Amino acid sequence: MSAAPSELSIQQRWPWLREFLVGERQAWIFVFKCMLAFYLAAWLTMVFQLEQPSTTMITVSIVMHPQSGMVLAKSFYRAIGTCTGSLFALVLMSAFPQQRELFLFCLSLWVGLCAGGAVLYRNFMSYGFVLAGYTAVIVILPAIDNPYAVFNSAVQRVSEVMLGIIVAGLVSDMVLPERLRQVLRRKAREHYGHFIDFARGSLGGAIPRDEMEQAHLHFVRAAVEIEDLRSTVIFEDPEARARSSRMQLLNVRYMAAATSFQSLHHLINRLKRNQHPRTAGALIKLYAPVGEALSPPADQQYVPRLIATRLEACEPKLPALAARLREELRQDPDLLLEFDSGAALLYRFVRELHDFAALEAALRETQGSLGGTVERISFRRANEFVAPAIAVVRTFLTLAALSTFWIAMNWPSGTTAMLLATVFSGLLATSPRPIPATVNMWIGVALGMLAAFIVVLWLLPGSDGFLMLMLTSGPLLMIGPYLTTRNATLPGIGSGYMLGFATILALKNPMVYAPERLFNDAIASLFGLIMCGVAFMIIPTVIGTEWLRRRQLQQLRRQVTMAATAPLEGLVYRFESENRDLLHQIVQFTKPGSAESRGQIAWALAVHDSGRAVIELRQDMLHAELPPPIMEAMQRAVQSLARLYDEPDQARWQAADRDVDHALTLTRQTLPQARASCQPALAHLLQLRTALRDDESALAPYIVKAPENSHAS
Amino acid sequence: MPLEIALGDALVPGMLLVYLGCLLVLWAVDTIVGRYGLYRYVWHPSLFRVAVFFVLFGAAGLLLYP
Repeated sequence: MSAAPSELSIQQRWPWLREFLVGERQAWIFVFKCMLAFYLAAWLTMVFQLEQPSTTMITVSIVMHPQSGMVLAKSFYRAIGTCTGSLFALVLMSAFPQQRELFLFCLSLWVGLCAGGAVLYRNFMSYGFVLAGYTAVIVILPAIDNPYAVFNSAVQRVSEVMLGIIVAGLVSDMVLPERLRQVLRRKAREHYGHFIDFARGSLGGAIPRDEMEQAHLHFVRAAVEIEDLRSTVIFEDPEARARSSRMQLLNVRYMAAATSFQSLHHLINRLKRNQHPRTAGALIKLYAPVGEALSPPADQQYVPRLIATRLEACEPKLPALAARLREELRQDPDLLLEFDSGAALLYRFVRELHDFAALEAALRETQGSLGGTVERISFRRANEFVAPAIAVVRTFLTLAALSTFWIAMNWPSGTTAMLLATVFSGLLATSPRPIPATVNMWIGVALGMLAAFIVVLWLLPGSDGFLMLMLTSGPLLMIGPYLTTRNATLPGIGSGYMLGFATILALKNPMVYAPERLFNDAIASLFGLIMCGVAFMIIPTVIGTEWLRRRQLQQLRRQVTMAATAPLEGLVYRFESENRDLLHQIVQFTKPGSAESRGQIAWALAVHDSGRAVIELRQDMLHAELPPPIMEAMQRAVQSLARLYDEPDQARWQAADRDVDHALTLTRQTLPQARASCQPALAHLLQLRTALRDDESALAPYIVKAPENSHAS
Repeated sequence: MPLEIALGDALVPGMLLVYLGCLLVLWAVDTIVGRYGLYRYVWHPSLFRVAVFFVLFGAAGLLLYP
């Protein structure tokens, strides 16, 4: 009873203390779960009479993670990786049992390929690859002098690793779990609210360019973040799995609506800059009912069902309003054209926003699965092949050098060095700053080994039974998980500590006391880790370097080329998701607000705007009644745009401008005869031309002013 | 059910196959329950899932190897 008031007074007096206590509570829950998983795994391994409880403990130390979804996801891929690795080990052992050079060559190649795979798949799937390499090595190395034992070794290791995976998964899923699902739900609602607020807040029309850039960055991060969370949550929650395809569709609609919204605002901004405030004003007036539909009474502002119905009600009113506003404008055909294309964009935006809000409402209102099926769409990742290739070469050379050293020196502990080098070159290959990470890991491993020496050499000899094992090794082992929760300030030290501790504790069944082997193993492990660091110094990583960013920016530009040439089926989704994934990767390593970052975002906006318009134009071109000469002109315009974004220069800009202009003129001439087929295409062609001639966009340096100058003179 | 089964000339325990079969059944049950949102009626879904697995595996093991 007396505890409650004193707690209350603590909360009032020292808010930082409360924050600290909440953080500590999370940390100690994780430590407790780790210890439970460690000793449960070790105990079960001993009960099942497997040879090396230490393998199980190392597995647990790699798999444990403060959030539950991550453990299950990693465990799933890790199980696949383990099976693949052990199968490869069996094949390799039966192919070259007596040829040590070829044998080690192939093993190094395999580990290198696995490290490359870990870099290529950047999410938790990369774990599967790291462990396919690791399992191959731990299966082969103990059996290397006795090839007949390789099958037994494979069975034992796979059993131990699987046991570790299962125990870690069960403990973190069942004991005081921390659910990613709540995080996903919160994030999705946050992003939805932010988008609706932004769309409503831009009621006045023009948004300054840097605010637009910030908003774009936010939309990109949101889309990628939600996709990352979704792909993890489906492992922890069958309900989320049943709704997964809807959530993907929601994300796609979110991306489509954001792109249309940005295009609309670019158009309004350009009109204002080019001294056509009346046209811009008319578009802003046309936007007003949408803004109104987005502002229901304050207490129901974020109810998606309400917003969807209000948008639906507002949609049919728009064409009439547009016709009235059009009457009021100066009857200059160019300006009317601009207005029509803006109105078309606005209709598209309202339709997409309505779809988005309706789906969000459906997802919030129903529990469990939603009836019916939806089209299968996937968030496409944009992959880069240079960084993985470099990781393959680097890891291969590291292991080849270690193997040569091992053979040449006849070094008995070569196996341990190989093992640690395999694990760390895979884990560190994805790090943007691998050398500091290696140093941190090295310190962690060294500390863990020191602690394990104390346990093995002084504490264990006097103890007896499993309870005593827990009591003697527990307090020092506990430091590892605790350091892991401090990953923000001391990255890598915690996981290094746990790995080092479990390696040197080296629980065997039955346990042996062999201090000289411990020292050999410790030296070999630290040596293997140093070899990794040296390899990263000699062949530096390209992740996060300026060179890779330039390359990725080029890839981003070529997205327009893809939009112009790839088959149309599902192209909008593919384009939108790959764009965001690429930009997300690019901006990760640039300083926000720097000139470089501004350039990147400017390109991203240009690519987004023009690429989407190109896709829409190509869809318009499918219209059956389009006269063939116009079709040809449009095709030429699309092609020359593709060439411009592939390798921008002034000549190509001129060609693109000429072709788009030509197609536009032709379409306008035929408009009275074939209104149905030409009207939508005209709007998109116009959007493309304004994007090309925008002197604030990333294309500005390539713009040739010649036609306008001659016009003026 | 035989105690050991030869898969590609490697002897594996019959229990392993039963275990994998039970995992499949669990996955199916889990999907169905998740699909209709029945986990709302359960206090601790993951504990429930593990308990279902134990029941399945225990029953299958006791029935097949009396």
